[in-house]
Amino acid sequence: MSDRQPLVVSDRLTKHFDLGRGQRVHAVDGVSLTIHEQEIVGLVGESGSGKSTYGKALIGLHPKTSGTVSYRGETLPQRYTARDFQRWSQKMQMIFQDPYSSLNPRMTVGEIIGEGLRLHSKLPTRQIRDRVGDWLKRVGLEPDHMSRYPHEFSGGQRQRIGVARALILEPEFVVCDEPISALDVSVQAQVVNLLDELMASMGLTLLFIAHDLSMVRYVSDRMAVMYLGALVEIGPAADVFFRPKHPYTDILVKSNPEPDPERERQRASTTITGEIPSPVNIPAGCRFAGRCPHVMDVCRSTTPELLPLADEPTRRVACHLYTQ
Amino acid sequence: MSQPLLEVSDLRVEFDTYGGTVQAVRGVSFAVEPGKTLAIVGESGCGKSVTVQSIMGLTPMPPGRIRTGSARLRGVEILGRTEIDGRDIRGREIGMIFQDPMSSLNPTMTIGTQIAETLEVHWGWSRKRAFDRAVELLGMARIPEAARRARQYPFEFSGGMLQRAMIAMSIACEPAILVADEPTTALDVTIQAQILDLMGDLQRDTGMAIILITHDLGVVARMADEVAVMYAGQIVEQGSVDDVFYRSAHPYTLGLKAAMPSNEPDAEGKHKLLPIEGSPPDLFHPPVGCAYAARCPHAMRICQDQDPAAFFQSEHHFARCWLHHETAPRVEGLHRGAAARQPEASA
Amino acid sequence: MAETSPTVTLNEPGAFEPLHAEQRAQVLSRPSLSYWQDAWIRLKANRRALGSLYIIIALLLFTVVGPFVWQVDPAAQDLDQISTPPGASRAATLVGPLQPWDGSTLEPDRPGLHLAEPATTQSVRLLWDPWPEAYGYRVYRNIFPVAPGEALGLPMGDTFARDQTRFEDRLDLQPRTYYYTVVALDTYGEELDRQESLEVTPNRVITIDDALARGLIAPADDRQVGDSVRLALHPLGTDYLGRDMLARLMHGARVSLFIGIAAPFLFVLFGVVYGSTAGFLGGHVDQALMRFADFVIALPFLLFMILFKIAFGIGPGESGIMPMVVAMVVLLWPATARLVRGQILQVREEGYVSAARLLGAPTGYLVMRHMIPNTMGVILVTLTFAVPSAIFTEAFLSFIGMGVAPPTPSWGSMCNEGIKTMLTYPHELIFPALLISITVLAFNLLGDGLRDALDARMRSRE
Repeated sequence: MSDRQPLVVSDRLTKHFDLGRGQRVHAVDGVSLTIHEQEIVGLVGESGSGKSTYGKALIGLHPKTSGTVSYRGETLPQRYTARDFQRWSQKMQMIFQDPYSSLNPRMTVGEIIGEGLRLHSKLPTRQIRDRVGDWLKRVGLEPDHMSRYPHEFSGGQRQRIGVARALILEPEFVVCDEPISALDVSVQAQVVNLLDELMASMGLTLLFIAHDLSMVRYVSDRMAVMYLGALVEIGPAADVFFRPKHPYTDILVKSNPEPDPERERQRASTTITGEIPSPVNIPAGCRFAGRCPHVMDVCRSTTPELLPLADEPTRRVACHLYTQ
Repeated sequence: MSQPLLEVSDLRVEFDTYGGTVQAVRGVSFAVEPGKTLAIVGESGCGKSVTVQSIMGLTPMPPGRIRTGSARLRGVEILGRTEIDGRDIRGREIGMIFQDPMSSLNPTMTIGTQIAETLEVHWGWSRKRAFDRAVELLGMARIPEAARRARQYPFEFSGGMLQRAMIAMSIACEPAILVADEPTTALDVTIQAQILDLMGDLQRDTGMAIILITHDLGVVARMADEVAVMYAGQIVEQGSVDDVFYRSAHPYTLGLKAAMPSNEPDAEGKHKLLPIEGSPPDLFHPPVGCAYAARCPHAMRICQDQDPAAFFQSEHHFARCWLHHETAPRVEGLHRGAAARQPEASA
Repeated sequence: MAETSPTVTLNEPGAFEPLHAEQRAQVLSRPSLSYWQDAWIRLKANRRALGSLYIIIALLLFTVVGPFVWQVDPAAQDLDQISTPPGASRAATLVGPLQPWDGSTLEPDRPGLHLAEPATTQSVRLLWDPWPEAYGYRVYRNIFPVAPGEALGLPMGDTFARDQTRFEDRLDLQPRTYYYTVVALDTYGEELDRQESLEVTPNRVITIDDALARGLIAPADDRQVGDSVRLALHPLGTDYLGRDMLARLMHGARVSLFIGIAAPFLFVLFGVVYGSTAGFLGGHVDQALMRFADFVIALPFLLFMILFKIAFGIGPGESGIMPMVVAMVVLLWPATARLVRGQILQVREEGYVSAARLLGAPTGYLVMRHMIPNTMGVILVTLTFAVPSAIFTEAFLSFIGMGVAPPTPSWGSMCNEGIKTMLTYPHELIFPALLISITVLAFNLLGDGLRDALDARMRSRE
């Protein structure tokens, strides 16, 4: 990875939501992450870990509380205006989770996909139609689906439409916010393969947010694990999955059910207890200390830094077990 | 094998909608043995939930309608009935948990009271005795500080805790069968693992049968003894969990497995995911032949015109697929039993 | 697909040959329908809503086209036919001008209370024999048969001599049955026990001059006294001032429907603008705007309607329609504003709005292209439910006399007038009340149907 240029860099990106009465949700708390050109970074975590908020803050849909995001070295605005979105929309796009609510039910598929072109270029309508038709073919639909409405399509087909909408402006960086979570197993692979193909042909860089460990492992080059608003581990996807270092990653992998009865029979009973705490009251020290089977005294007082492992410099873990 | 606990045969359920009649379940038969787990697996809209809901009498009728079929609990027909010999089927004979526990709990009553109420109603226990038992049940569902939690309201529980409370409630009357409809779909993997462990342990302790409805093959592999794979309102393959996973006899089962990433640590590099192209058929107008023919990579001319019968691979393993016909071509990866036979005359 | 090709049987030679890709192309089998087309299909399937829609169309035709078909001035009085119920006889006999009565009679030798000459709507002339104990007489007229213990009706006049035994009634005579009673009076003018009753049904007559003036006969016709003419047609009868009910209902419908449609349209429009501004801007602006909306909701509606009316004042010749519309708009917009704000807040979080923002869509585009179209269903339903409530409010205010000013007809003011003669001439109340009820019901049923048809929840994940 090191031979590639950094494309998107977030530096201590923080997003808090004020609930009023002095309560704040620490949705994302100082996440630093470098995404290189033509790389797929998978971001996993349980619900409430802040992975989706991170993706939206990264791309500008949430104003940042603190921290910065830069794109090829240029710092992006803290709060986006419509003008900022116009400028950056040709560089960064997003694919949304819910294929049902992410397509305007009152617009035809052609209008949805062509929206970016209509807002940006002075292309005549004919040419926009042609481009939309090309993109429909590219995502595996028919050009004459243009005049149909989203509700006529299945979940997988809708997600293809969402992909075409995001990619028609030919961005370099795409945040995929749980793009396959709402889809059936047989259709998930269709969308993943489509993303794979498009990535190869367009040279895309992806941040792939999901909670399905197996799928993230399959899709990503590197995998980042998020817990309660902070990264706990990041490294090459296969390493993180098969040889997890952080106790939380370990438990996550061990809890991941595999479609293999033999292996499931050998699986030890789960060791983790409790549930992810509320991000309103972040405990002091390590965020995972309350559930960690290897918890030490230091964990309850000092927050561990995300540091490279001594023997594997490509991997970084935020855990006191690996610091002397 | 003794008489099955629950035996469902040729269940057909339809729904009238403004767009026409949906044939949601099209001839489903299965049996559940005591102490075993039957997993019904399939994609959204395949009719897996409707199947059990109509057995339990939970489908609204109209618009729903059971066209044919029977469901016998210990030999007694329960379709269209709510009780056997004065004993409620729902809640007492068959417990249920759902994907969204919040929708089946009363938000204005404490968790303990709600569980106690089931016992008061079904077993006629005193309030005090029922509440004590409710606390005990919450403890069995591994809810920490059960006595305190029993006095809390549903909104004070997290998703995982609510599902535990639902399990405690559903096993309160010691039912013979627990129906779990996507019990962990809304939960995170770590919580899912806890809930699945809990269900497995309770099954070992009580000897109840579980009907597990899910779309997740991982959950199936973990929990099931028997597996029924549903597609477009029919069971396309059924057998023991090992038969279905390791000796898959239906192209759809094969397709599902190929569409998921397998986590073999040794396999270096990506093996490409093989998606199943297309989408399931519209059940307003189910296809004449095999419902999977349009997406099946091995479809033959006969598949479009004739609904395949169940071809048995072994005594308890069958697949509805013409590829098992003696004249059909061999397909790599598809298990063909040594004595593929066709006990049903014809569908 | 399968229907077109012949069925393959098991024993056929090629039955187990693989299919080629093009032989099993999947098609989208569902027809392509936009949201509104789909909603229209649903609405058509709802018979109650469809019926209501037809009724509303019929009402609009009645209001808009009706006055051109039935060209009768709603303010014109037909004094020959006052409070005539629908379907009454219209025949009248021509007579000369009224001649003063000198007490002569055409039937000299009849005993007891009797008519001096045939009764007409011009005059009823009563004669009776003197009674020895009477020092005077009092004449009553009733529209119900005289029964012991019941009131005798309207006292028409007294005479003050035993031999003054005649009485002429010219008061507002209608071609219907009257019951006259003569009661004997003592010296002090107190009623004695003796009384006598007579049932009289006057014939409708009209003087030649009047008939000419009303255009019932032409001067060239050369009609004679005693000829029969037909009076003007009033299909739904006339009111207590002899005005044509049908014409008044049509013109009243104009007022009622104008207020009932214009006011909701304006306040829904304002509410949409206000609510979407609040919902889209959010934050402190939203807070301030919504607190003001709460303030307006808290104002007592009826009190303020009356205050508005007084503040605006209604000058001569003004109908009072505009003050009522203005008051409704000023007081009723917050409900819509709240609803639309809630919808916008919800829609703002939808994926497609985020996607459009990411594509660089300006604010106005986001609101007009994405947010308003997706709240249109709710807005339309609100509008349909606001119409009947506005019609009802207008009717109610006019009924209690705080609405449109006379002589402008509106259904509410017609009810107000009709209630005075409810027992004797029920048609004057029943027709406007029935129209109000039908209209309000039709709009409500249509609103119900629209809400069902536009409810996206039912079809979102089919």
